[in-house]
Amino acid sequence: MSNQQKIKDYILENFLFSDDQSALKEDDSFMSKGIVDSTGMLEIIYFLEDEFGVQVAEDEMVPENLDSVNNLVAFLAKKQ
Amino acid sequence: MSNLVESLRENAGKYPNNEAIVLGDDRLSYQQLWSSVSKLASFFADNGFKRGERVALLLDNSPEFVVAYYGVAAAGGAVVALNTAVKAMDLDSWIGHSGSTWVIANAQHSEFGKLAARQQAVKFVLFNASEKAEDDFLWEDVEAYTDSQPDVTIDGDDVAQIIYTSGTTGEPKGVTLTHHNLFTNFSSVLQYLDLDDSDSIVNVLPFYYSYGNSVLHTHMMVGGKVVLQNSLMYPHLVMQKITDEKVTGFSGVPSTFTLLLSRVKLDEVDLSSLKYVTQAGGAMSPSHIERFCDAVPNARFFVMYGQTEASARIAYLPPDELINKMGAVGIPVPGVKVEIRDDNGNPVENGLEGEICVFGENLMKGYWRNPEKTNEVLVDGWLKTGDLAHMDDDGYIFIHGRSSDIIKSGAHRISPKEIEEVIHELPEVEEVAVVGDPDEVLGELIRACIVVKPDMELEARVIKAHCHQRLAQYKIPKKIEFVKELPKTASGKIRRFLLVDN
Repeated sequence: MSNQQKIKDYILENFLFSDDQSALKEDDSFMSKGIVDSTGMLEIIYFLEDEFGVQVAEDEMVPENLDSVNNLVAFLAKKQ
Repeated sequence: MSNLVESLRENAGKYPNNEAIVLGDDRLSYQQLWSSVSKLASFFADNGFKRGERVALLLDNSPEFVVAYYGVAAAGGAVVALNTAVKAMDLDSWIGHSGSTWVIANAQHSEFGKLAARQQAVKFVLFNASEKAEDDFLWEDVEAYTDSQPDVTIDGDDVAQIIYTSGTTGEPKGVTLTHHNLFTNFSSVLQYLDLDDSDSIVNVLPFYYSYGNSVLHTHMMVGGKVVLQNSLMYPHLVMQKITDEKVTGFSGVPSTFTLLLSRVKLDEVDLSSLKYVTQAGGAMSPSHIERFCDAVPNARFFVMYGQTEASARIAYLPPDELINKMGAVGIPVPGVKVEIRDDNGNPVENGLEGEICVFGENLMKGYWRNPEKTNEVLVDGWLKTGDLAHMDDDGYIFIHGRSSDIIKSGAHRISPKEIEEVIHELPEVEEVAVVGDPDEVLGELIRACIVVKPDMELEARVIKAHCHQRLAQYKIPKKIEFVKELPKTASGKIRRFLLVDN
């Protein structure tokens, strides 16, 4: 399974409680769509760290890296 | 006695060029703020607005929220600031219950479409909109009005604000606060925080709750600056904002500080401008207080305690006593009396547990249109808080817990009953009990214990998906546990405390 699919499935399952792939677009902003709150973002970071073995530094916690499935995939590609 | 509107008008005269509200590149001075407030008040006056009418705000923290709040008050109205995290059903219920005749709304809010379809009788003023229904108005229409303030007298006893503290499935509880309530309580807060027009704060707390509300208005009362940072999703950016804006203050609930401590290297951020930090909204662990204080040695750290029903603040811990009285929520704020009482309403001796009861000019008028609930908590002029505590011989209050079932998760107070009723809508559910388990980040974490009907099946995801449809994100149980039965008393009442995971 691609990183993109793994991340999308994780967000769908844990924040939208759905397996309907059309419920989330890859470039939907987590913040402006109200999908994730501050503790949810912490959960996403733990997920990235556990699932993909990367460490997320504090200055990497910015919307450009984390605010959509696409941003997460691009961020992960840089880190891995 | 003055009021918030009068105080803002004076500050616009005294500090016209001081910055009042900052959001991103948008910087609003006191003069600009007062001009916009006067335009909105003139708009209402011109559109047949009557004193005492309620106006609901569906706006996130923004310059427009502040303009709307003061504009409604200046027109003689009462503000109903809606929780923007909830679903249309709750918003609809609160607008209906408050009898709001106007709604000032961000048209881009995710629930706005549903709300507008349900609320045909109210008039909307729409922010962030390019089109509107025939009887509605755009924010731009308001800006075209004159900024001469209409001739409206505000009495201390006039209702300034109604804050709804519970959702739609229970009876709506609208805490009704007068101008006098708010002004006296915020004046008390200013006495101990000792703020002036050189002070400023990065604010992450929603204005629709009493804590954020008090942060906003205390700063407006002294000519200070409020820098809005509307999400804690990126804690590093919040801290960076403190550095960039060189603000003197920061306020949070325990989960705010836990997030910052866990994801930001505070010793690598320049927080030297901070002079005061306040914490309320539940107990923060002493180790987190110590760690945060170490990171900001120049700042006075105030632990505070309050309730919406008391405008905001009931007690504070003077920073000089922070170490000596660690674990206490402090002494009553100026002008407020606190007694610890037993079940019969009699004061208990120091050191013994009882209920925190409060007396002062900060106490709400009551719950809006709900005399029954009002009489349960306001007795002989005293507020029964439902919080259990003892007082030491020096008059410091130490909270033990709550006598009611309210769950405190993050900055939110959540009724387990509301979540239970939503879960009960699923036909497979025989019984359900919702509890708050202790949690390091959130304070309490919501867990639903569910008994499924015989010969039926139910998946946790289905339950969460149903909650997601019906409830705000922060009310969705983090954990679902399927159990065979729930512990009950002889009379069949669920013994919730036996379910809490200690």
